Amino acid sequence: MAMIDEPLYPIAILIDELKNEDIQLRLNSIRRLSTIARALGEERTRKELIPFLSENNDDDDEVLLVMAEELGVFIPYIGGVEYAHVLLPPLETLCTVEETCVREKAVESLCRIGTQMKESDLVDWFVPLVKRLAAGEWFTARVSSCGLFHIVYSSAPDLVKTELRSIYGQLCQDDMPMVRRSAASNLGKFASTVEQGHLKADIIPMFEDLTKDDQDSVRLLAVEGCAALGKLLESQDCITHILPVIISFSQDKSWRVRYMVANQLYELCEAVGPESTRTDLMPAYVRLLRDNEAEVRIAAAGKVTKFCRILEPQLAIQHILPCVKELSSDSSQHVRSALASVIMGMAPVLGKDATIEQLLPIFLSLLKDEFPDVRLNIISKLDQVNQVIGVDLLSQSLLPAIVELAEDRHWRVRLAIIEYIPLLASQLGVGFFNDELGTLCMHWLEDKVYSIRDAAANNLKRLAEEFGPDWALQHIIPQIMEKINNPHYLYRMTILHAISLLAPVMGSEITCQKLLPVIITASKDRVPNIKFNVAKVLQSLIPILQQPVVEQTVRPALVELSEDPDVDVRYFASQALHACDSVMMST
Amino acid sequence: MLKQLLSKFPRKSSRSDGSSETLSSTGCDDGASSGNSIQRASSMNSGSNKSAAVVKRMSSAVFPASVVAGIEPLLSFREVSGQEKQSLFISKMNLCCVVFDFNDQVKNSVEKDLKAQALLELVEHVSTAATKFSEQAIAASCKMFAANLFRVFPPNYRSGSSASENDEDEPKFDPAWSHLQIVYELLLKFIASPSLDAKMAKKHVDHWFILQLLDLFDSEDPRERDCLKTILHRIYGKFMVHRPFIRKSVGNIFYRFTFETERHNGISELLEVLGSVISGFALPLKEEHKIFLSRALIPLHKSKSVGIYLQPLTFCITQFIEKDPRLASVVIMGLLKYWPITNSQKEVMFLGELEEVLETTTMAEFQKVMVPLFTRIGCCLNSSHFQVAERALFLWNNDHIASLVAQNRQAILPVVLPALERNASSHWNQTVLNATLNVRKMFSEMDEELFLACRRKHEEEEAQRAEAEERRRTNWARIEEAAAAAAAFQPAAGYTAVLVNPPAAPPIFT
Repeated sequence: MAMIDEPLYPIAILIDELKNEDIQLRLNSIRRLSTIARALGEERTRKELIPFLSENNDDDDEVLLVMAEELGVFIPYIGGVEYAHVLLPPLETLCTVEETCVREKAVESLCRIGTQMKESDLVDWFVPLVKRLAAGEWFTARVSSCGLFHIVYSSAPDLVKTELRSIYGQLCQDDMPMVRRSAASNLGKFASTVEQGHLKADIIPMFEDLTKDDQDSVRLLAVEGCAALGKLLESQDCITHILPVIISFSQDKSWRVRYMVANQLYELCEAVGPESTRTDLMPAYVRLLRDNEAEVRIAAAGKVTKFCRILEPQLAIQHILPCVKELSSDSSQHVRSALASVIMGMAPVLGKDATIEQLLPIFLSLLKDEFPDVRLNIISKLDQVNQVIGVDLLSQSLLPAIVELAEDRHWRVRLAIIEYIPLLASQLGVGFFNDELGTLCMHWLEDKVYSIRDAAANNLKRLAEEFGPDWALQHIIPQIMEKINNPHYLYRMTILHAISLLAPVMGSEITCQKLLPVIITASKDRVPNIKFNVAKVLQSLIPILQQPVVEQTVRPALVELSEDPDVDVRYFASQALHACDSVMMST
Repeated sequence: MLKQLLSKFPRKSSRSDGSSETLSSTGCDDGASSGNSIQRASSMNSGSNKSAAVVKRMSSAVFPASVVAGIEPLLSFREVSGQEKQSLFISKMNLCCVVFDFNDQVKNSVEKDLKAQALLELVEHVSTAATKFSEQAIAASCKMFAANLFRVFPPNYRSGSSASENDEDEPKFDPAWSHLQIVYELLLKFIASPSLDAKMAKKHVDHWFILQLLDLFDSEDPRERDCLKTILHRIYGKFMVHRPFIRKSVGNIFYRFTFETERHNGISELLEVLGSVISGFALPLKEEHKIFLSRALIPLHKSKSVGIYLQPLTFCITQFIEKDPRLASVVIMGLLKYWPITNSQKEVMFLGELEEVLETTTMAEFQKVMVPLFTRIGCCLNSSHFQVAERALFLWNNDHIASLVAQNRQAILPVVLPALERNASSHWNQTVLNATLNVRKMFSEMDEELFLACRRKHEEEEAQRAEAEERRRTNWARIEEAAAAAAAFQPAAGYTAVLVNPPAAPPIFT
């Protein structure tokens, strides 16, 4: 083609591609922005490509999103950090578009660039950008600006710092709730860069304003800032300024606000110190544990262990434990489930005696819960209790719970319990396992749901790993040998799968003696699906087996399969034969 | 509130047999004291000893030893003189501030009935009231509305992970509706009443009150949203001063919905109110209203649940175009911006709205947008979802649109012809195929010369497609090469070096 001799104009090609009707082509080209930049060289990228991008941003949001992302890692292509400021104009425009994803990505990229820029450059280029955005006419610019203050603040001279604080204050009182929400959610980040003195004088009032906002949605985000802010303040200030707010939030009329408080109350404990925790935060937390709204109780219950870790054990036993007892018979299954997922962690906190006396009855009642998730959550964290009181005390109730879950009519529940079996095995030990759980594990191999059979096969492998090949030889292999003759081909296939998983664990010798003959027999199966799976399994066994065995046993079987009437069988057999050949060649 | 009443209860009942205190005229903010004021008032009236006795008898009959003083059954309006009616009104309002728990139907059933009774009396009174409401009466009413209506909705469990499965669920009904309904009726009558002076009331029906009312539009109960719709409409009509604030706040709800949460139950109702607000806009349209159209209304097309409120949205938008035809191009470009890419159902709806908008579009506006518009329609024609293709083809059945197209065929035919040809040669659906052939015939009969020229050009382009594809590939390959060469050529200042040691790398100008 004549084209080849023409000079290359990468920008022209990009411009041309970005005009294409097909959005996919536009996306492809914008994703290769860095390639174009490299082809152009640093200077032309700065002087031609970036200005072009700054002016051409009325494309689809999808294209803009990619552009915002690419520009975030563009510093190397424009000649290093001293030129980083040239990237700011296109990103500034992207900060003002309508689509939220694009704006967020642009802010993220700006932050990434800003953290690499020199202090003087930040003051010269980045601060004006933040100010311009904060004064933006439409809310989109102002929303974006809130997420950038923390990048520039610490580099700015005092005069500018004062200005930045005052601008942020205005954003917190913006006319549009969208902006106030963004200011509220970024307040913690900004505050972490502000000096201690100004924190109290300027940031706290902003925070207090936000917490009194008319709009639920703004207050909600202000709560999120509580913990972050609390950690920045000195303990005394935290007690005078943040504590009253969080206490009143914990009684807010909106359950969403209370929910937020429940989620992060424990994070404040450290900030306010043990005294206020005991007198103020703990009662608030107890109230939340008894909240009218189940959603709030779920959040609170989920934090019960974290909260107890901070308290002295005595207090936890005296005040929190009674609530835990109530929650264990809560009317909402989700509350009980949330509790069950963390309650086991309380055992190390409370110590042996309290656990046996107080927690054990709760564990037992949750183990009998009518809702499977609750039982599963208890079983999943068994190791935490085992360290404290040993599992013997639980084992009697454990077994019926496991058996029931193992037969649950929802396959997802069965799947979940299978996945905990290796954990149970390691905690309960071989003895308990042999008697009670062995049969269950075999039973799952014949489940009517594929995922369960698949998981059951995997489970056998993990058990073999846990208890060793000798144990497996006694307790797994014989049963498997029996099941290979199941009349249903799908079940025979599961066994083949289990064998292929077990072989590497069992080692070469046992595989040769016990497993290989079974597979070879299966290669004469009447169902083609079994036969080509045999071919696949044999292929996977080649690395495990001794060379002579491969040649004497595996290869003849594969050769026979490679002449099968079924096309798939022939295909997989020839694949496996190739594998044999290549092993031969390499030795 | 209940507590307050409880603490006052013993004192009040002991006084109800006619102790003579001076009538405190104002300060009725406290529920209990105003509850007393009617009794005081009646006891001063010589003829009302009997009614005071009635109160006592009723209360002792219903609450022999009850501690629930929340509902003290008061007199009926018929039993008091004109002057006392206002005080009785306030005291009834104050009593109705007590909110009952309806999750338990049996609990407090007697008191619930009494409150409902009181509410009904209030409705009756408000709809027949002849004299203007005093400021205290307005304050007491607003307080009662706030206490009963402004509440936080319980969590919506259905909208969790399985929202899509339950989309068809029955709407959720508020168990407290039997009271809420009367309170809403009362609020409506109250706002609409000629006895309510807007100037005096605006202090109580204030920004806070309106914001709370707007928050209620998120209710899951359609009956509630319906009431709110009418009430908001009346407030907008009566309180001129609040109009800009209401529009702004509704806009904020839309922004939050479009750009943040994508969840709100009352968008449709809010749009219905806006529909009549917009049709009342004076001409020429203020700039502020046009901005509202492009920034708040058009982006509502973005949400995936647009189907729920598309009808009132389309109404609002066409109202705008009717007021100012120059807005048609803004609307159409907006539709194109939010045009769905994978959601065929939504695409069909967009085509429907587009047809409605085009109906009112003038030639000048049409010409501004026709090329991008018909590029998009071309894509719809080729949709493998037959409903989309069909709906797009039906646009030509509309006389107004067909004539717009005919007059601008020089610009439009080159854009849509490739799509028509593709359909004609390979669309799987028979109906689409036939309709495509009809449209194609329409074009060729309209202007055969143009048609043939376009067709030739299309055929040429098709022939060159592979070549263009190849050119694109080689171009990119050359750029890649150049990029690799550039990186190799300047190892000191190339991007690798910069990555290793950013501040020190000196720029090399090529």
